[in-house]
Amino acid sequence: MGQLLSFLWLSLLSICVFSSSTSAADYHEQLNLRPLPQSALLASFNFRSNTSVSEFEKGNFRFFPRSLGQILQHAGTRELHLRFSLGRWDAESWGARPWDGAREGGTGVELWAWLEADTDKEADHKWLTLTNALSGLFCASLNFIDGTRTTRPVMSFQPEGDHSTTTNMHLLYGVLPHEVVCTENLTPFLKLLPCKGKAGIASLLDGHKLFDASWQSMAIDIRPICPLDGECVLQIEQTIDMVLDIDRSKRPRDNPIPRPPAGHDLPCDTSKPYHSHDTCFPADYTAHQDWSLTQIFGKTMKGTCPLADPAVPALCLQVPESRSVFVSEGVREKKNPDRVSRCFDIPPSTHLEMVLPTPDDSASISVTPEAPLLYAERSFTGHGQERGGVQTILRNPSPDTEVEFIYMESLPWFMRIYLHTMEARVAGQSHANKSLIQQVYYRPAVDRARGTQLEVRMRVPADSTVFLTYDFEKSILRYTEYPPDANRGFDVAAAVITILDPHQERQGSVSGRFAAYTLRTTSLLCSLPTPDFSMPYNVIIFTSTAIALAFGGIFNILVRRFVAADEGPEAGLAVVLGRLKGRLMGLVKGAVKR
Amino acid sequence: MSIQQPADNGTADSQPSATSPGTVTANNNETPKLKTAPPEKPSDIRRRSHIILSFWLIVLCLGLPIWWKTTTIYRADLPLQEMLDWADGKACRPVFPLRISIQANTLQDQEAQNLLRLTQHALDDLNDFSGHHLRLQLAPPMAAENHDRESVLTIRLLPGETTTATFDQYEPVLDITYPPNAIPSPTSSSSSLATYIAGQLRSTFAEEQATISYLLSTNSIPSDHRPQGLSPDVAESLSKRTTRSLKYAPTYHLTFSLFTSGPLPSSWDIEEAIAEYMKPVLDVLSPIHNFTIDTQVQLYATPGVQNQVLNKEDLSSFINAAEWPLSPSIGGAPTINFIVFVGNQTIASPSQSPGEGAIPGSTSHSWLIPQWGTIYLLPLPHDKTHVDSSALKQPLLTFTSHLLSFTGAPQSGSLPLRLSTLARIRSADLLLRASSTLGSLARLALALPSISIPSSVADGVSKTIRHLRLACETLGGPEGLAHARIAEAEAERAFFEKSMVGQLYFPDEHKVAVYLPLLGPVAVPLVMGLLNELKAWRKRRREAAEAGAGKKKE
Repeated sequence: MGQLLSFLWLSLLSICVFSSSTSAADYHEQLNLRPLPQSALLASFNFRSNTSVSEFEKGNFRFFPRSLGQILQHAGTRELHLRFSLGRWDAESWGARPWDGAREGGTGVELWAWLEADTDKEADHKWLTLTNALSGLFCASLNFIDGTRTTRPVMSFQPEGDHSTTTNMHLLYGVLPHEVVCTENLTPFLKLLPCKGKAGIASLLDGHKLFDASWQSMAIDIRPICPLDGECVLQIEQTIDMVLDIDRSKRPRDNPIPRPPAGHDLPCDTSKPYHSHDTCFPADYTAHQDWSLTQIFGKTMKGTCPLADPAVPALCLQVPESRSVFVSEGVREKKNPDRVSRCFDIPPSTHLEMVLPTPDDSASISVTPEAPLLYAERSFTGHGQERGGVQTILRNPSPDTEVEFIYMESLPWFMRIYLHTMEARVAGQSHANKSLIQQVYYRPAVDRARGTQLEVRMRVPADSTVFLTYDFEKSILRYTEYPPDANRGFDVAAAVITILDPHQERQGSVSGRFAAYTLRTTSLLCSLPTPDFSMPYNVIIFTSTAIALAFGGIFNILVRRFVAADEGPEAGLAVVLGRLKGRLMGLVKGAVKR
Repeated sequence: MSIQQPADNGTADSQPSATSPGTVTANNNETPKLKTAPPEKPSDIRRRSHIILSFWLIVLCLGLPIWWKTTTIYRADLPLQEMLDWADGKACRPVFPLRISIQANTLQDQEAQNLLRLTQHALDDLNDFSGHHLRLQLAPPMAAENHDRESVLTIRLLPGETTTATFDQYEPVLDITYPPNAIPSPTSSSSSLATYIAGQLRSTFAEEQATISYLLSTNSIPSDHRPQGLSPDVAESLSKRTTRSLKYAPTYHLTFSLFTSGPLPSSWDIEEAIAEYMKPVLDVLSPIHNFTIDTQVQLYATPGVQNQVLNKEDLSSFINAAEWPLSPSIGGAPTINFIVFVGNQTIASPSQSPGEGAIPGSTSHSWLIPQWGTIYLLPLPHDKTHVDSSALKQPLLTFTSHLLSFTGAPQSGSLPLRLSTLARIRSADLLLRASSTLGSLARLALALPSISIPSSVADGVSKTIRHLRLACETLGGPEGLAHARIAEAEAERAFFEKSMVGQLYFPDEHKVAVYLPLLGPVAVPLVMGLLNELKAWRKRRREAAEAGAGKKKE
């Protein structure tokens, strides 16, 4: 079944790439719902529209958003990929990523684009324009992608579009791991759609539900596509993938505090030998869950977008054929020949509600997710504020094929890595295995000007785990370079792992993607030595006191005359007291006299 | 250490020498309890004064200048008085000498000269505004048909039946026909033809004159340059027009948007419609402005007001700024929005909200938002999916006329004349704007003594003044506009220099907190040392004087 699912995703992807050749301007949208283990539900929204390049250059926008089009024209951008992500994809339980990881980014905001420019300097300038303009459009801090957060990847990315006519393209990549994606980013995202959030599948999108998801990723991909016959088109694809927790979504809105269910309500795995009336092994019961569209998204779907191509079904659901699904009147269900998915034909003005009741025979329905090509985990090692290390655990689950991939890190400049300490080791062996790392591209950081860029082409043998480790030194920042919440730590962007397609040579470069699968590790939080921020005044007072003490001492030695103790004028407390006493006596006497 | 060494030696020297004779004197003086130190050697006293003096010298000659140099705020020299003069209109008196050539090929040279003299007389009598001066000249008789580039208007005198005046469609040429008997005799002091021509010229340039005098009056130009007799209602209409028009920019960005509240219509023939109805006007405006155009279709756009009949208050909130993607274009050029909203709402007729609500020129389908754009309500059948170019004719004609008012062009006259007038009004406007920005900058520099003025601001100011001077000299011509444009841009850049506001506020308590811990403890020994030394010095002088007096007495 896993193979079948992966085929489905691949075929969807290829539809995206190829079907646009049919007409110069069109629009498609589709929502895919797929239950995942542990009561999770993956919802993949996909919106795709085209405009012919000639109309784009003339400035006539119909489906393609004008605001974005103007930015692309102004910044000379040929291809653009923008990602807003939140949460962590739990590969251990959810399996392979949607779209083979091609439509997701690391936590925060990620942007990469191919810009047309003659020189590197011009490309940098256009990149600055692009990030500033996008920052305004998407209400995100994209303008903070400066020179220190920008890299020019060499191996990890390749254009997806057709750029046969332009030669001088520059790839720039910037990432903001600290950015918190929220509703203010969703609103402009929906504004770019031809039907806004008013009709079609986009009417299900709601900030409350989207940002409540366990994992979500919003993606915008713009690429030119030139079919063999006909005019080149510029395609914008907007994707939202989210993993919703069904249990969480079903909680009543007015009473959202979770409470432990009563003992008899607990779903237990009755097949366990120790199962009895007082022991319960929690069952993976997503398959048994009953849910409806209203519960998951908080509202019904408002018809279909009238602009969307009716040939592409707006809603598809991946549950086995045997499971019964109830939908609103007028909606026609089409079961796909693969027996695990079905799609729905929705009349334009129907408020669609879909209900999946608890299935009768639970045994036949179980969700086994497809295993990804590689599992990756990254964490910090070491202790102290001076040095640290990074360890990435890469596990290849396949029993017979080895995986070759490119591991890319773009690290902030204040993490100075020691490249000589980088080594890859197969788990269970004590020595580093030199043959695992095949190629390294390393561009060292320049303090306050540029971050580290590290790209490693390596392989993981079949059915084994590889540890990739390296050490780094933490540098000390200047006082003003610390953010307001310096003690929280500094976010380190996710590592991008691009698994190379072994069949690429055979297929040639037709597929448009050289990567078979892309995944990103989680981002890290690096704690740097953080000063006490009242320090400047302390330093001023401390050094001033020291200087003043030294100066006063030296000056007095130079200027004063030294005599024996009994030769000088009387001094000290006794003299002062005596004087005071004399004065007081005088006052008292005066008062008595009066 | 090297300083300390001689001082140590000095004390070491003085101590043994002071103690051993000290005991002797104590014994002699019969005061065993209080011993006095022996007198210091004069060399020691001198050395001490030198030490104190050198410390103070270092503080005053080295410390103070360094402190001053490192903490002072850089303020570039600005020609403040000159800037204020520009703002007050003392530096430049905007004068628009307009040359009008008369082509009278059928007249005798002398007759023509005479007519010209009389017309000029009549014009001078009519004109009360010295800044705007019409000067007539005779075109060479055999000059080509074409209009002379130097002059703003050519009058072609043609013999005819009656006295008529017609404007040429494409050239700034005024054709005046005259009956044969209208030619003034060389001796006559008045002529009806001359008066007629003068009246025609006056009415042609009346609007331009009014606009320029309005511009001058809103700026702080001294009253003697200011023309009198601008009636309040003319001033009001002019003020309306100037608030409506956009700030001058070499390029304007036009955005045509089709908004509908539902899913239909989703396409329109805007490209053809623009080419047919708007392009001619854009071509004519091209010497003054460039235009870039883009178009968009937006469905499901609910307006901010859902009423069926829109009142005047609703018009301002009709634009749903939160949802409609009308973001301004990037790249500096201001955007003019032209919106066709498909819907059957109507605007309450102007009679219900007379005067201020109804903007003249707007029909009951459209209204104009000053400096922003125009909205046109287009009622269409519900099932129509495509808007063809014939349906867009009326909206685009409205947009075209509104575009002219956005650019600030005058409302009457032939199109070529209106455009040349527009250029003159714009240069006057830019000149005054740049001058007033200079004045604000000068006042800011005077009012805030702690603001830093980087050299780029001084650069900008000098460039502005140079171009203002050039613009003032060539006012009325195309170079005048170009110079005024540069001057305005430079003045704005100088005024909005970012680094000027960075360290504007640095409170004095802060300074005390930084300086006191160091300067307090250091200053106390220094000052005390100086005071003690001065006291000792005065004492020594008194003693010396007493000693001197005692010697004299002896």
